[in-house]
Amino acid sequence: MSAVQRAMLVAARELFAERAHPDGLAAALTFTGLLVLLESLAFGPGRAREPDVAGAAFWIAVTFAAILVATRSFDRELEDDAIDAVLALPGGRDALYAGKVLALAIVLAIVAATTGVLSVFVNSLEVALGAQLVLVVILGVLALAPVVVLVSLLALRVRARVALVPILAFPMLVPQLLAGTNGAAAALAGDATAAFGWSALLAVFALLYAVLGLTLTPGAFD
Amino acid sequence: MLRGPNGSGKTTLLRTIAGLVPLTHGRRVPPTSVLYIGHRPMLLRGLSARANLAFFSAFRGRPADPTDALRRWGLSALASVPVERLSAGQRKRAALARVETETEAVVLLDEPFADLDTDGVVLLRAAIMSALAREQAVLLATHFHEELDRDARQLLVLDAGAVRSL
Repeated sequence: MSAVQRAMLVAARELFAERAHPDGLAAALTFTGLLVLLESLAFGPGRAREPDVAGAAFWIAVTFAAILVATRSFDRELEDDAIDAVLALPGGRDALYAGKVLALAIVLAIVAATTGVLSVFVNSLEVALGAQLVLVVILGVLALAPVVVLVSLLALRVRARVALVPILAFPMLVPQLLAGTNGAAAALAGDATAAFGWSALLAVFALLYAVLGLTLTPGAFD
Repeated sequence: MLRGPNGSGKTTLLRTIAGLVPLTHGRRVPPTSVLYIGHRPMLLRGLSARANLAFFSAFRGRPADPTDALRRWGLSALASVPVERLSAGQRKRAALARVETETEAVVLLDEPFADLDTDGVVLLRAAIMSALAREQAVLLATHFHEELDRDARQLLVLDAGAVRSL
């Protein structure tokens, strides 16, 4: 069985478990939905419609959602030492990392799509470049997931993991947050060149952190 | 058979062989394939016993239907129930059914008798004997059932992290 197939198996296992107990997804959707509503109230209808503000609020919500979903996912792994069963399998460490990244990206895509649609309706956003916006969101999600999973693994056995993961992750997520915000703002405002530029940067981040994660993962478990 | 008082290092030794504990010195020469079952069931909550076991065998590249193994362990009716809804003993049985679905060269069992009822102990003894008959090496760490020492090919006693007798 190839490494890709093993990662797909871990991702499928993760998604089935999340489907049975969608604690992480439910918490993330509730959180992002409330954040969009509060942002709309706090900024007022005029400011909330500005591409920069809408883009920033969206990515801040999705970033926090990523932490929530990943935390719940690793909580589940630690119950009954389920994670050790995977780590003891040949190729289990890399597969666990890659599978978790894949599963988190899929769950985040659901959260991002729901949050995006809600944001468009609540704030009456005008989307000038829909396809580019979707591209930014997909690449942004792919750029977030490797970092969040890597940090979750590094803090796996730490007692204060719930507090530590966001503290460690957010400095590493600033570039993705900026690129995602600017890319979304460009797509909302109709600047196709800028939207593609930021999308390309997000793709680089996604690749870079995925490689970094796969390199660091075996040592991270020790 | 691996014996020793609490804290003597039995679990650490098994986890080290399984690659779950980093070595401070020396070198690990892993066998081709190891099945490690800890004193906790190591099954993912949210999935059924069948889904958990199918995942492990598929991951090893030898997809197998665990239905027969789960039936032998008395879990036919519970095979599709999420593992968090099973009792501790039933979860232990589901975990130990892996001995039959993942026939690895080396089987490491840490306190496998904990949470098992009398029937479960009989089933486990039979599963171990079957594994030995298949030329699998079984390393079992336990405080219980000293009568099993008679069946052991070797008895290893640990004390404070060191081998006291072999």
